[in-house]
Amino acid sequence: MQRHKFQKELYTNKGSGTTPSIITAATENMQSKFVVQRVLELREEGVPLNDIAVLFRSSFHSFDLEIELNKAGIPYVKFGGFKFMETAHIKDIVSYLKVLENPRDVVAWNRIMVLVDGVGPRTAEKVISDILQHKVNGSSESTRSFWSTYNNYPDKLTDLFDVIKQIASGDIPPADKIGIILRHYTPQFKQKYDDYRKRQKDLEMFQTICERYKSVNSLLSDMALEPPSESVSDITPTGSEDEYLILSTIHSAKGLEWHTVFVMYCLEGRFPSYRSADSPDEMDEERRLMYVACTRAKENLYITYPLNIYDRESGLILTKPSRFLEGLEAHTEQWILDEED
Amino acid sequence: MKKYTLKKSIFQKEPQKSARQFQVDYQNELNPAQYGAVTSVNGPHLIIAGAGTGKTRTIVFRVAYLVELGVRPESILLLTFTRKAAQEMLRRATSILDSRCEKVAGGTFHSFANMILRRYAPLIGFDPAFTILDQSDAEDVVNLLRTQLRLDKRKRRFPKKQLLYTLFSRSVNTQETIKDILTEDYPQYLQELETIQQLHERYNEYKRQYNLMDYDDLLVHLKTLLEKNKKVCDELAGRYKYIMVDEYQDTNRIQADIADLLASKHRNLMVVGDDSQSIYSFRGATIRNILEFPDRYEDCNMITLEENYRSTQPVLNVANEILKRGRE
Repeated sequence: MQRHKFQKELYTNKGSGTTPSIITAATENMQSKFVVQRVLELREEGVPLNDIAVLFRSSFHSFDLEIELNKAGIPYVKFGGFKFMETAHIKDIVSYLKVLENPRDVVAWNRIMVLVDGVGPRTAEKVISDILQHKVNGSSESTRSFWSTYNNYPDKLTDLFDVIKQIASGDIPPADKIGIILRHYTPQFKQKYDDYRKRQKDLEMFQTICERYKSVNSLLSDMALEPPSESVSDITPTGSEDEYLILSTIHSAKGLEWHTVFVMYCLEGRFPSYRSADSPDEMDEERRLMYVACTRAKENLYITYPLNIYDRESGLILTKPSRFLEGLEAHTEQWILDEED
Repeated sequence: MKKYTLKKSIFQKEPQKSARQFQVDYQNELNPAQYGAVTSVNGPHLIIAGAGTGKTRTIVFRVAYLVELGVRPESILLLTFTRKAAQEMLRRATSILDSRCEKVAGGTFHSFANMILRRYAPLIGFDPAFTILDQSDAEDVVNLLRTQLRLDKRKRRFPKKQLLYTLFSRSVNTQETIKDILTEDYPQYLQELETIQQLHERYNEYKRQYNLMDYDDLLVHLKTLLEKNKKVCDELAGRYKYIMVDEYQDTNRIQADIADLLASKHRNLMVVGDDSQSIYSFRGATIRNILEFPDRYEDCNMITLEENYRSTQPVLNVANEILKRGRE
């Protein structure tokens, strides 16, 4: 019979240690906030940021956390995959929102125009110069009237302008605007990226994040990459500007070790990922990933998962903790998060 | 008559005394499992090094141990995942023993292949001055051929250079057919299968014509060289008498074959790794290499390092439980 592993049992002669915890969060955002708060506390206790790592199965799992870290002013570096806002397809989507907020954003305009089949840099340039000369001042009032009157562009661009017109209405919540954008963008997206299946999850995640926002403006501000430097100084002692929290995919964390390790999204459908469900070999590899993640921790290990996550791709609500948590009750503390009023 | 006593100590080596002949106090520096691994010399050995159990330390001490035993450093070959890892290990071996360890042959499978192929290139139909294409060079070549075949003018969408190169590379590394890869991950291009295969052939012809090799070719051509030229294979086996492979759980099929071929004569092959940390199947690595090592080398000596120097016991209990529940 085929062998799937060699028997081994790790042990240490080090003294006792802290019992690892499994943390259940009601929502994805509470999961992020838990990590942020715990990181700040550990920092207070004297654990340097770069001795703390947050690990996850897939690059997109950290997007919500990245926004919360930016808000809290915790500097971080991310290994494996791209930073959320730096991925080309998220940049595409955000560009639609940007022209909505500021019709003079030439860079964003150029980005969404060349996505249209048959529109090259030259056409884009001409249209953009038209837009710029139309004396639009960018305020919401005149922006709206601009979009309802100005529509004599080349046919190829009609669809794009229809979309902008639709989403220019202030009554629509940001998440719904993203929905409209995605309907328009998806064919272009599939055209532009050979690996669009992998990227699809990012778009879904972005839409989920948008659901928490009431205005496009505050959404775009939160998305800004640079953490505000004033608040960084609150948690970073002088002379150690190079201190960063580590965010990493498990693959990129191999061979490394940290004082404290968080493993996020230990939820069926996320970790293990859906795709591995059909193949026992792939499921074995997912389990090994979990093993690699946990063995990075020297002192503290926090395993977290959110509940009731809607997975857009499958249309399912993910509610089950990861199968890799089975049998861990005896070896861990179970925490449930609560929010102060 | 004079009585002359034959002293026991002259003819029977006491273990303690032989230990003192070494400059490094191996027994004291290592735990029993590590010591067992370090002092395993001839024949095939499989060292399963659990997370945080001092794998690098074990390799470093074994290099020193072999050198102290009198093995010529030039005849030890240490193959690692990155060149930096090999350099670091040999630097550490040098610091615990002496500069003899600097002469050990160390590097990655790719750097080793490059060195050997420069010497024997004509035997596989290449000029020794062949150029190595890095990934972006290789993609550019693919793109050139794509344009020559006028695939860029197609109405129907055809894969771009990055994906084409990924397909070719994965097919070489995992020995999956392009058809299987497309079916599994890019079904939208299945209808282009024949054209993609044709392009792959042209890509290979082109490289041969212009004396080029991409990263995968280095491994493929080395393997072919060792398989087709018994003389070369024996020559290399004679030069590298002790072979060590690090991160063995992350090797692909071709790399395992190369190690086996190099060791085919003397069978002094030590592979080190952790099956539980094999997580790179998407890059072509196969866990079967390490899991089936005892089947390929039935007389292999297997040692498991389990004492962890990184984590506390509560963390290890979690890790152990996760492993325990995996398939047997």
